[in-house]
Amino acid sequence: MAQLVKDFLNGLWKENPTFRAVIGICSALAVTTAGQNGIAMGLALTFVLTCSSILVSLLRNIIPSKVRIPCYIIVIATFTTIVDLFMKAYFPPLYQVLGIFIPLIVVNCIVLWRAEGFASKASLPRAIADALGMGLGYTWAITLISLVREVLGSGTLFGINVMGGATHWVIMMLPPGAFLVMGILVGIMNMISRKPVKKTHCH
Amino acid sequence: MLKDLFFIIVSTVLVNNFVFSRFLGHCPFLGVSNKTETAVGMGMATTFVLTMTAVAAYFIQSFILEPFGLTPFLQIVSFILVIASLVQLVEMAVLKISPALYNAFGIYLPLITTNCIVMGVALLIPQKGYNLIESTIFGLGAGLGFTLALVLMSGIREELEFSDVPEALKGPAIVFITAGLLAMIFLGFTGLAPL
Amino acid sequence: MNQYMRMIVVLVIISLVSGGVLALSYEVTNPRIQEQTQQALQQAVLKVIPGAEKIQTVEKEGMTFYIGTDNQGNKKGIAFKTTGSGFSGPIEIMVGYAPREGKLTGIEILSMSETPGLGARIKEPDFTDQFKGKSVNDEFIPKKDVKVITGATISPTAVANAIKSSLAKVTKIFPVGGDF
Repeated sequence: MAQLVKDFLNGLWKENPTFRAVIGICSALAVTTAGQNGIAMGLALTFVLTCSSILVSLLRNIIPSKVRIPCYIIVIATFTTIVDLFMKAYFPPLYQVLGIFIPLIVVNCIVLWRAEGFASKASLPRAIADALGMGLGYTWAITLISLVREVLGSGTLFGINVMGGATHWVIMMLPPGAFLVMGILVGIMNMISRKPVKKTHCH
Repeated sequence: MLKDLFFIIVSTVLVNNFVFSRFLGHCPFLGVSNKTETAVGMGMATTFVLTMTAVAAYFIQSFILEPFGLTPFLQIVSFILVIASLVQLVEMAVLKISPALYNAFGIYLPLITTNCIVMGVALLIPQKGYNLIESTIFGLGAGLGFTLALVLMSGIREELEFSDVPEALKGPAIVFITAGLLAMIFLGFTGLAPL
Repeated sequence: MNQYMRMIVVLVIISLVSGGVLALSYEVTNPRIQEQTQQALQQAVLKVIPGAEKIQTVEKEGMTFYIGTDNQGNKKGIAFKTTGSGFSGPIEIMVGYAPREGKLTGIEILSMSETPGLGARIKEPDFTDQFKGKSVNDEFIPKKDVKVITGATISPTAVANAIKSSLAKVTKIFPVGGDF
């Protein structure tokens, strides 16, 4: 049990995919213009990550190691398409905002990183704990980025006016704002944990 | 006709640069932009794969997915599998044909499958309704834009090695801030080409 | 089992299961997706033709027109779709047109991917309302007779241009002052 809690917390902070491992950045920068986008994107990724990890962990003794990557890719692509279809059917406005970044979950490094690096060697409960931790770690991270950009860019929090029109810095809504906010937040996380990330997990 | 192709190139390389404005391909952008030499190699390899993917995506979309009505639920699976196999094929072919070329950029090939810029281009082509030539140019432009971003960044990072960066910002953090400044510069290209 | 056979069998089974699951989820979600698109379209048409309650669809010269009628069957106006090329992708616009008066009756942005807080404000009534009652013979030149959004000129210009160029075609099919 202690092990499961540790696996779960690992993704939330110590190896947080966005701020500590710095992977899967594309969607973290692209869709983070409003709080609800961050939450929706995060939950979509958490779903794909958890389902894929469950299958990869269950099939870990069946899949021959030489074809494991193609197998993982098919599994991940299947769950990504399911999310894509269900979002299109039930949340069309959100689907329109997140656009191409929902199908792009299939190449999000976080998913393959956890499938290949953790779930393929772990028991089912541990794989689930890890996937949920990583998914929710990603979710809070990009929601934070979204909220910073939303407050500074349009003066609102989840669409509610909080700044009384004091901040309407358009640059925060544009690509440069995404990079700057991300850089500063990674810096702040480095200060909090007193251990700067020197390199990313991605190639 | 030629004018349209020219605009596609200008648009993908400068105005809507895939790294700075479309937010695609950030993993290699952070990972292999330490040295200019590796950046050029990675850029070349990606451009090559992107151009081929664009052609492949066009054919799959218009001759298999669309005629049989499979787009909504098999597009993602088929594109990712085609990209993965294409990268493998290119790697084997390059190794066979020219070991020298393989040494120059072959080692980057396996990393390209999970580069979201490739999948992004494949998904954008049907959305934009491009024909075969336009698709090819779109893929090529995306690759050139990616190479440009990577080489610019690597040049700056080589200098950054010698500068006094605050402790907390060392590593990816300062790269993001630099990328933010570069993205501002690229905003200046807005309006250069009608989409 | 032979090692290669095993690889092939595993891959084939996984692909088949994946295909099956996807076809099934498509069957489940497709009616709902169709309904959503239909609904969005209908709402937009009713919004851009004031007083319309029912919609009739007609095809003319390769374009689709939605004729809005009230409950008594009186024709209230025509709506049609047009697409402009915005800053970061296509902008789909539903335009309402009253041929008898030669005026626009309203526009509605159906889909777009413009920058939030900037170009995306073309969706707001502040921008769209200015097209209500605008004569089809107007120039549709941004900053002249079309108000733009501070800091964003590309998206409003795209909307204005798309409407202007589609009107050139539509007014030939349904001339000003004529019936429809």
